[in-house]
Amino acid sequence: MTSPRTLSLALALAAFALGLPAPAAAADRAKIVVGATLPLTGAEARVGGFYKEGYDLAFAEVNEAGGLEVGGKKLPVELVLQDDTSTQATAVSLADRLVNSDKVDLLLGTYASHLVEAQSTVAEQNQIPYVNGGGGATKIYKRKFRWLFGLLSPVELLGTTLMQWADEQQKAGKLPKPAKIALVWENTAHGKDFRTGISEFAGKSGGAWQVVVDESFELNGKDFAALLGKVKAAGVDLFLVDAHLPDYVTMHRQYVSSGMCNKVVSYGARGSEKDAVQALGQENVNGILSGVWWSAQLASSNPQAKRFVDLFKARYGGRTPEWYQALGYETARILFAAVRKAGSTDREAVRKALAETRFESLLPGGWAEFKADVGQQVQNGFVIQQNMPDGSSPIVYPKEVAAAAGIAANPRCPK
Amino acid sequence: MDRLVDLAVSAVLLAGLYATMAYGLGLIYGVLRVVNLAHGGIIMAGAYLGWQMHERLGLDPYLSIPVVLLVTYGFGVLLYRVLVRHLPRGAAGGPASLLLLFGVWLLLRNVAYLLFTGNDQAITTSYSTRAVPLLGSFVSLNRLAVLGIAVVTPVALHLLLRRTYLGRAIRAVAQNADSCTVVGVDVERIYAITFGIGSALAGLAGVLSATIFSFNPAFGSGELLKSFVVVVLGGLGSVLGTGLAALILAVAEVFAILVLPSYLTAAVGFVMLVLVLVLRPGGLFGQRVLG
Repeated sequence: MTSPRTLSLALALAAFALGLPAPAAAADRAKIVVGATLPLTGAEARVGGFYKEGYDLAFAEVNEAGGLEVGGKKLPVELVLQDDTSTQATAVSLADRLVNSDKVDLLLGTYASHLVEAQSTVAEQNQIPYVNGGGGATKIYKRKFRWLFGLLSPVELLGTTLMQWADEQQKAGKLPKPAKIALVWENTAHGKDFRTGISEFAGKSGGAWQVVVDESFELNGKDFAALLGKVKAAGVDLFLVDAHLPDYVTMHRQYVSSGMCNKVVSYGARGSEKDAVQALGQENVNGILSGVWWSAQLASSNPQAKRFVDLFKARYGGRTPEWYQALGYETARILFAAVRKAGSTDREAVRKALAETRFESLLPGGWAEFKADVGQQVQNGFVIQQNMPDGSSPIVYPKEVAAAAGIAANPRCPK
Repeated sequence: MDRLVDLAVSAVLLAGLYATMAYGLGLIYGVLRVVNLAHGGIIMAGAYLGWQMHERLGLDPYLSIPVVLLVTYGFGVLLYRVLVRHLPRGAAGGPASLLLLFGVWLLLRNVAYLLFTGNDQAITTSYSTRAVPLLGSFVSLNRLAVLGIAVVTPVALHLLLRRTYLGRAIRAVAQNADSCTVVGVDVERIYAITFGIGSALAGLAGVLSATIFSFNPAFGSGELLKSFVVVVLGGLGSVLGTGLAALILAVAEVFAILVLPSYLTAAVGFVMLVLVLVLRPGGLFGQRVLG
């Protein structure tokens, strides 16, 4: 027998429950709100601005097409973008505000591994899908977060792809066998991943590649003469470095000044930037190999990449996009594709769609997948570019997308 | 043997750079007993000034040095007259001056972000990567030039301090400001001039650094730390000690690669700093004020 007291309590609870706003069904809501932060000021401001261009383009594309189709209805998408000032604390607090005060439906990530690493914890705690194209360090994904999805392939693969190109050259007789490698890397998560990629490849080569110098350096170094002296004394064939732009410029100036020359030279993801060419002189950067996550040259073989390049040029005055804008655009586009696939903005449904879908993509390889065993970070390869004397930097590897044959033994070096 | 010669040459060149960065910091502390935390910001400003003159007017960075010196001198005098002079002197003013000048540094940095964005910049000349053979190794022309200026600067400072009325007044104020007031020396003016000279030396370090490194608004923090190590090692306030300390620091860092992994060589200076502060707080060459 139910007592009158229990009955009235049940009625009160039912009334309270009825009064609560139910999660808006797709048919009832007016728009989809996506929150994001980017480093628009501070140390990463330049790149943050590039990512913003990519985000803006993706949102404009959807809205100009009438909105994002969810559950049979097209809804406009709105980006609530905040400036995280390139600092971890701000990135975290703004993400928290976006989720808990602004009540955004979904999150897009910021740029730079250290910011993504800190910010993604907010997404995990609040159980909201967080798709980012700005965090490449594998340690972010080793935490195996369920709500975190990364579109930047691990830097390990940069080292691996670079070595795959060198290996082909060696097999073609253009590089000596065995060949000696100087592996020099910045003492960061980025540098450590690069080192892993190269040294694991060399370790499995059965002696064809020998790492004879393995040294790291601190960011923003003032003098690399002693380190370069060590490389010079080892008489290596390949000089493979992972460095940020300022260290690349300082180190390569010293490298050139000291009369060094190696058959293969790479500074990881650096090498083809206009700023660097200007700072170092075209003749000093010729032959340098660089690995990037994406290149506009992929437009010739990848329909998604072509579509993006055309859209970008139309919106930004004919300017050719770099990988930063491409990753920004692709991050937002993939999130939209997941919402479309889920047919809802329900967080769990979108998370599931991201985790289980193989998306057509502008990235090298043409597909993007977030596999659980690698912490939901895509594993697409890199494209290797090489600086040519005419100022161009064509893709030389992988072969399927290569625009030129690479030059294996640096012609600047004495025979 | 060749390797050791290479390392020795590198160490001497690096010492030139460190010394240039540290002279201004040492001079200001020696006279005013103020640790100028805005030093890093003025180094950054000097780099941007040199870069702007190179980009806009096509002026060679070495020819832009007089303009950089004048502008940063003026900035230093203004900074003293508007802000620093109002701070309490001595130990009581320590935290206040640290906070104030740190604030000035942050202000300079953010102004640079607003004006020039966070992009990395570099001064590129026809001789940026040119080198000359020396003792069997190749030496960058820019680094050689920096070394030359690093040697000339303390000589010029020495002549200024020893042979001119202004220099004698600066030394007198550094030793006993109260007595100087009694004998009619305008102490506030001397302080302002000294702050200006120290700032000009930071500006000089900035434009010289810009010929070697790429830079952005965050540039200067590493330079300030190195300067601090050099000034403490050399004995706060000792100009000659600063030059010698720069050489000791550079030799220690460069030769450390023979026994340490490369990434640890940058820490050698800070280990030396701690050791000197514990074992010989007055610095390796004592606190001979502007000696």
